[in-house]
Amino acid sequence: MSILIVEEITKEYDGLRALDRVSVKVEKGTIKGLIGPNGAGKSTLFHLISGIERPDSGTIYFKGKDITSLSSHEISSLGLSRTFQTVQTLENMTVVENIMVGMYLRLKGDFISSGLWFPWISRREKEALKEAKEILEFLGLLGRWKSPASQLPIGKQKLLELGRALALKPEFILLDEPASGLTPAEVEQLSERICELKKNGITFFIVEHLMGMVMEIADDVVVLDHGKLIAEGPPILVEKDPQVIAIYLKGKRGNA
Amino acid sequence: MTSWSLIPQLLPSGITIGAIYALVALGFVTIIRASQIINFAQGEFVMLGGVITFFLLKGLNFPYPVAALVAIVIVMMVGFFLYVTVIYPLRKASILILLIATLGASIFLSNTSGLLFGTLPKALPPFSGERPLHIGGISIVPQSLWVLGTSFLLLFFLFFLSHRTLLGKAMEASSTDSLGADLLGISRNLMVFLAFGVSAGIGAIAGILITPIFFTSYNSGTLLGLKGFIAAVLGGWGKNSGAIIGGFVLGIVESLSIAFIPSGYKDGVAFAALLLILYLRPKGILGSPFIDSRRW
Amino acid sequence: MVDSNQKDFRKRDLFYVVPLWFLALIVPDADDLYSYRRKEFKKREIYYLGALFVLPLIWSDPHFHHLMVLAGIYAILALGLSLFLGYAGQISLGHAAFFGIGAYTTAILTTRYAFPTFVAFWASAVTAACAAYLIGKPILKLKGYFLALATLGFGEIFLVIIRESTGLTGGVIGIFGIPWFSIAGFPFDTYLKQYYLTWGVLLGLFLYSKNLVRSKMGRAFLTVAASEDAASTVGINAAKIKIGVFVIGAAFAGFAGSLFACIMSTANPEAFSLNLSILIVMMVILGGMGNLYGPIFGAILLTWLIDILGKYQTWSLPIYGVILILLLIFFPDGIGTRLGMRLIYLISYWKKKKRRDRGKL
Repeated sequence: MSILIVEEITKEYDGLRALDRVSVKVEKGTIKGLIGPNGAGKSTLFHLISGIERPDSGTIYFKGKDITSLSSHEISSLGLSRTFQTVQTLENMTVVENIMVGMYLRLKGDFISSGLWFPWISRREKEALKEAKEILEFLGLLGRWKSPASQLPIGKQKLLELGRALALKPEFILLDEPASGLTPAEVEQLSERICELKKNGITFFIVEHLMGMVMEIADDVVVLDHGKLIAEGPPILVEKDPQVIAIYLKGKRGNA
Repeated sequence: MTSWSLIPQLLPSGITIGAIYALVALGFVTIIRASQIINFAQGEFVMLGGVITFFLLKGLNFPYPVAALVAIVIVMMVGFFLYVTVIYPLRKASILILLIATLGASIFLSNTSGLLFGTLPKALPPFSGERPLHIGGISIVPQSLWVLGTSFLLLFFLFFLSHRTLLGKAMEASSTDSLGADLLGISRNLMVFLAFGVSAGIGAIAGILITPIFFTSYNSGTLLGLKGFIAAVLGGWGKNSGAIIGGFVLGIVESLSIAFIPSGYKDGVAFAALLLILYLRPKGILGSPFIDSRRW
Repeated sequence: MVDSNQKDFRKRDLFYVVPLWFLALIVPDADDLYSYRRKEFKKREIYYLGALFVLPLIWSDPHFHHLMVLAGIYAILALGLSLFLGYAGQISLGHAAFFGIGAYTTAILTTRYAFPTFVAFWASAVTAACAAYLIGKPILKLKGYFLALATLGFGEIFLVIIRESTGLTGGVIGIFGIPWFSIAGFPFDTYLKQYYLTWGVLLGLFLYSKNLVRSKMGRAFLTVAASEDAASTVGINAAKIKIGVFVIGAAFAGFAGSLFACIMSTANPEAFSLNLSILIVMMVILGGMGNLYGPIFGAILLTWLIDILGKYQTWSLPIYGVILILLLIFFPDGIGTRLGMRLIYLISYWKKKKRRDRGKL
């Protein structure tokens, strides 16, 4: 069965329908793209899936479990991670610590035991540092592992956020506009890395405006406009769909 | 044992003190509307209004109205001074730092006042005599009417200022979108500077109004400031009308509570009300869904 | 272009570096922030420990001892608050209330129910922690100014309750006759003994805090401060973390309160006012947030400052207000952190320059 099932999701803000009975399925081990003009409801959908907000109606299933009413940290503990459109770099920590934050659920310790520094905690911390450095190496950020994270340029900060999501060892990652602010070379590298991660079994759901990137790496694409699902299918077909072309070509205040 | 019969008598004093809380709250809101800063020294402006007037009247023998006016001007100067020495240097700091800095200013002002003018409570003569008026079985001190009247006058003045004058609109603009306002030639710093002066003036007026009824001493500013702030939150964050409503609600609830609980707990009522409103409806009575809404 | 800049910097370097190297020996550096630094005990920390141990023996003025005992108690308070304020990035203006809860718990248990002080010590921390949990659950949903206000409100309500419950707490007069703190019959009745007691407790709590901060929990605190959204992405329950840190801070305050009660032998409401809450916050801010030594140095600094000001009796309070403001203007990051960061930057720049000059780069 599909790893993520979104069923008839509706979300309204002050009378404005951000999402109108949207249903999507994502298969395990694939990359699904989510495109659409600005304001189509893409980030809203991600907020609902990741638990930052609740839908007004509809259900969301992850790995067969109903996650609609779960809080976002509970959803993360099930193996679903995400990045944000405005990159949430943890500026009060170093690069490597930003990654280590992602391992929160996998490390041992709580208020009492961490304070008493039992030997198993010490051991796990050392392992965590090593693992974090490995992730940094994979992303090409190892050289700056000790720097404060705020010193990285924005493109690298986005990679760092991806690294933090990876440290969770998730099965599913929501990427919200990962390529914005990146140079073409960086976009290329990012695409390569995402494909490599896909080979390791991670499923991706990517919102992206950069058509080139999405169409190249996605197995499947979903198109939203004004909160409604317009089209779905492999990139080659969606590209040619007349409805999709219409919504991109029409003016700012286009009508159907 | 509740004493419902006391309520009619407690109401006028509640309304009076409510008007004062409303004025203090207005002072807070004026600065918040210009800058999102909470000025914890607001209560000290009230205290200084009363204390300086007393000093000018009794110490330097100024005529009463002159003493009042000069005191208001002096306190406005203090407000400007506060901005220049504390707020402006810290304009880029976090809200926590600003909060503590205004608290530090409050400590400075209250203690300096104690040193310069003495620590004894001061009283001013009422504006129009001391004989209480009897209306419908309750007695009201005429000063209370002055307080109420002046409060509404100030309310209209502020309404006029923000909605009808260019200056008021400039202040609104600079707090809503400081970059845009800057591009139009409105200096945010100047707006906040003026806001401090205006709010200091309002505070001083409140102090002069209240001192004939409740005495003012060097340390009465702190508690008054806190309660005024609570009133601002209670009534609706960042709204002038909220400040007024909150002030009266707080004043009345506080006064009426004496009928039900031992009087020592009276000060606690305000803080209990604060916790209640923050927990149940943080936007306040008139608040709108957006916490930093700045409309009327 | 680059060369002339380097030359300029060299001259300025000497100006900075020489005195700063000296300070580097005694001032904590911001590297303590980084949780991957496994080395538990650096040389500098051994110096601190040694100095701490030896100091009151060298300088045997009882007034100095008394001052350092107070500083120790405030240091415990500030340390607890700094986890909440400096690491988790929240605001509390009512921390003095937990201090008061601790003090009164010990006072009541030892005078009314003849509890041994050692037991009352732990009971105080537990009471304060419970109070923090009950208050924290609803309050910590608030953010920024609103949280600051709510904690302030709680602090004031606490004072009002203490003043009015004359039966339990002796009202405005307070409770007298609290016995000296004693462990297994050994009483801490002189300032010197109390010095070692308070700083000993501080040391224990410091080690606990250091471990906490260097572990995943410390990173969780910092994450909640930086971005609650990011925290939820990695499975951190922000609400739970905030409450947990609040409770820990309150427990520390409870310990401090218990020691305070035994040292002062009395407990009365005026000691636990808003002014104290502000003072503790100042110690954390001035000492340096995000840094465990910061609050300790801040506590020592402000305790000394108040003592010095006390000699100027009448003008002490206004001056205190002015100094607060000045310190905030010039050291918004705290004294500890700014010096530390500047030091690291300069030293690493200096080292790189040296290598470049020798032609290695």
